[in-house]
Amino acid sequence: MDILEGMAKTARTRAEHLREQKGKGVKIVGYVGRFVPEELILASGALPYLLCRGGQPEPPDAVIPYLLRFMSPYTRSQIGYHLLGVDPIVPMLDLIVVQCSDCHESRLADLFEYFKLPTVRLGVPTDWEKSLSRDYYYKGLTRLGEKLEDLTGNKISDEKLKESIDSTNKVRDLLKKIKLLRKAQPSPIGGYDFIRLNHYSFYCDSAELPSQLNDLYGGLQKGKSPFSKEAPRILLAGHVVAVGDYVVPKLIEDSGGVIAAEFLDEGMRHCEFNVKTDGDLMKNLGETYYLERTPPSIFQPAWEERVELLKKIIRDFNIDGVIWYQLSFEEVYNLECSIISRVMDEINIPFLKLESSYEYAREAVGPLTTRVESFVESIKQRRG
Amino acid sequence: MAKDIYEDFLRLTGFEEDEIPKYLPEWRKASVKLGLTEDDVKFAVEERIPTYFDIKLEGVRKMLGSYLKETVDLTKASEYKERGVKIVYGILPAILHFYYALKLTAPDKVFVSFPDIFLTLVLNGFFHKLNPYLEEAERTGIPYGCRHCALNKTRYAARRLGVIPSPDISWIWGFICDEAPKTDEFIRIYHDPEWKTYITRLPHDQPLGTVEDEVIDRVEYLASQMKDGFEAAQKEIGIKVTDGKISEVVAIWQRYANKLAELAQLMATDPQPLGVMSARPFWEPLFCPFNTGVDSMENALDIVIKEVKQRVARKEGILPKGAPKLMIYSVHPSVPWIAKMFEDNGVGIPFPEFFTLTKKQLMPPTFEDPYMAAAENWLRMSGMVNPGYQAEQICEKMATLNVDGLVMGLMDFDRWLGSDHRLLARMIEEKTKLPVFYIEGDNWDDRDYSQEALRTRIESICEIVKMRKA
Repeated sequence: MDILEGMAKTARTRAEHLREQKGKGVKIVGYVGRFVPEELILASGALPYLLCRGGQPEPPDAVIPYLLRFMSPYTRSQIGYHLLGVDPIVPMLDLIVVQCSDCHESRLADLFEYFKLPTVRLGVPTDWEKSLSRDYYYKGLTRLGEKLEDLTGNKISDEKLKESIDSTNKVRDLLKKIKLLRKAQPSPIGGYDFIRLNHYSFYCDSAELPSQLNDLYGGLQKGKSPFSKEAPRILLAGHVVAVGDYVVPKLIEDSGGVIAAEFLDEGMRHCEFNVKTDGDLMKNLGETYYLERTPPSIFQPAWEERVELLKKIIRDFNIDGVIWYQLSFEEVYNLECSIISRVMDEINIPFLKLESSYEYAREAVGPLTTRVESFVESIKQRRG
Repeated sequence: MAKDIYEDFLRLTGFEEDEIPKYLPEWRKASVKLGLTEDDVKFAVEERIPTYFDIKLEGVRKMLGSYLKETVDLTKASEYKERGVKIVYGILPAILHFYYALKLTAPDKVFVSFPDIFLTLVLNGFFHKLNPYLEEAERTGIPYGCRHCALNKTRYAARRLGVIPSPDISWIWGFICDEAPKTDEFIRIYHDPEWKTYITRLPHDQPLGTVEDEVIDRVEYLASQMKDGFEAAQKEIGIKVTDGKISEVVAIWQRYANKLAELAQLMATDPQPLGVMSARPFWEPLFCPFNTGVDSMENALDIVIKEVKQRVARKEGILPKGAPKLMIYSVHPSVPWIAKMFEDNGVGIPFPEFFTLTKKQLMPPTFEDPYMAAAENWLRMSGMVNPGYQAEQICEKMATLNVDGLVMGLMDFDRWLGSDHRLLARMIEEKTKLPVFYIEGDNWDDRDYSQEALRTRIESICEIVKMRKA
């Protein structure tokens, strides 16, 4: 696990690295959301930076003078740190690409623009089964490519794009291999580490990342699991576990459970789905990002397909219980939670909904701990 | 003879004496289906309606009666469905021409409604009795704490409680919020597999300040989405609408809109001749289809215009001449006390911002194609567009109406229409140098924001405005 800690250190010092690169004339492009292909940014010669912070109550609160307070604390955090003056990255970004698939993200884009930050939006129609909507997203990608070319002065050639797709596919392949190791009982790596690993993968040098992941994979294959064989296997589901928002995953595993799988829309690499490297590469990007990957909760229709996928993960990863990580005021996820909760009841899988507004003061963590511990304990007892 | 409160209710809401005996059984039956008791009706007759609506005016009474007729008709939708009538639902905000065109094409074969609007307005506005619906939704899958929209909860609960049937198609416009279309998906999966839905959506992806109706790509995309949705709705119910029928609807709509413009002008006179709660419901037929048709509302509107003209001629107002006036983003009869609290504190609210039109909105469409025209019209509407453009529109309206300030907020359940008000307040205040106030609240559901909770805020706003005006 030294490799993971090494990656953690690289991720923590990302701001310094980016500053250095910016000094050399490299453009830094921040992006929000899973529909913004990192491959496109890399192919333009810019360095991508995923905006995905969270887990602290002050940044979302900093946005309240400008926005309704009943908005996602995660989305508010993406500008909240900047408004508090504690975000080292946002002020140095040459461009911020915001996917606009829901109201929360679009309002975030409004705020970036209001504060005169260089912003471009990528429209993501949620009625995804229509060709009309698909074409809209594809056109959006083309426009984004042109914008990146203008910014960097570099042409996004097929060769460059293929190179970046290949490299990102490699990262996804390795993460997928690590993910599949978690089918073992006990799992060689828990969710707390796997989520962090996903996060770090966005902030490590793309050239070094494959070999780091490969080494980690090798180590995990040979190493001893830190979990007991009896540890209840938990699936952590919801919108996102943001970078820095590790209280809940850690608590689950500190309580004797192991997060054996995740079902999260954002903040994770969707490593099941690689982009094809032959034919029309832009179209390939569009198809994989928009059509092939698991539809996010906001897509419509999505929930029946998502429930089936969730059931499959439960079977494939031998899951004992599901914890739904609900961020406050995320209305669409809140509705989905009711559906999933009922389905879990029908298939006799214990289900726990935890709601967070990123308030993790001692007073809040106490009851949270009790709930998680009780849940893990109840699963153990069920097993007898 | 014992006093019949149901009969009194009909009388109060503008029914003619000869209509009452015929309508009374239907109204009684509907009230049971809606969950209203005799006490609720008594409360409406003796307190709620006289307090918040200007029942001295026949036009207002008849307008209330039109809403009652429409709501009673809604409770008969299940019977219509059993007879083979196709049920088409929608939600606010939508361009209703398409729904009306379906109705006009096959009046006996199609039932159109935005059920939550009528239920919310009538149950809360007249009886203050929406809570059972909201609580039913909250008990059964739409939890209370997330600040979900009362309209969505009401639509869902109305289905659960058997007030409305499954639609043959619920054509849902997700041009604004995410929750409304997803609620329909929720209803279908969680409660009613027969709840058929078609969604039409538009990403909010235009940069701040973009004049969206002038971005041809956007107008074209929106027009294509509207056309796609309308074709899907027609296919689902097996009715083909001609372009001529859409034109017919546009003509009716325009005629009604012109009359509203006259009422709007009258409302802007000093002293303000009519309270906003008594005027505001007249605007609903522009956004929300009446299955019973607009004739009844149009008749009420004609009468109220005549009556308000008389008040203007007599220089009679609800407030003294020269009283300060504020524009408010949105007020709704579902929570009528908000507007009244302003008026009781000496500040007029002649108009909600949403229903005030800019010069551009009054201009004819650039396009002949009905879908392009509808799309362009949509992208000229405040709230449908990015906040930069919206702020410009609001500033223009404030100047036109010569108001003393603006009240934003009261939409805290809406992650689109209500989410940028604080930002808009800053933009507008910077441009106009007029005070812009923000009130956290909910103009459909007053369980969390009682009169007592908002009184201090509203009284303070009124004091500030009066001091500035003095």
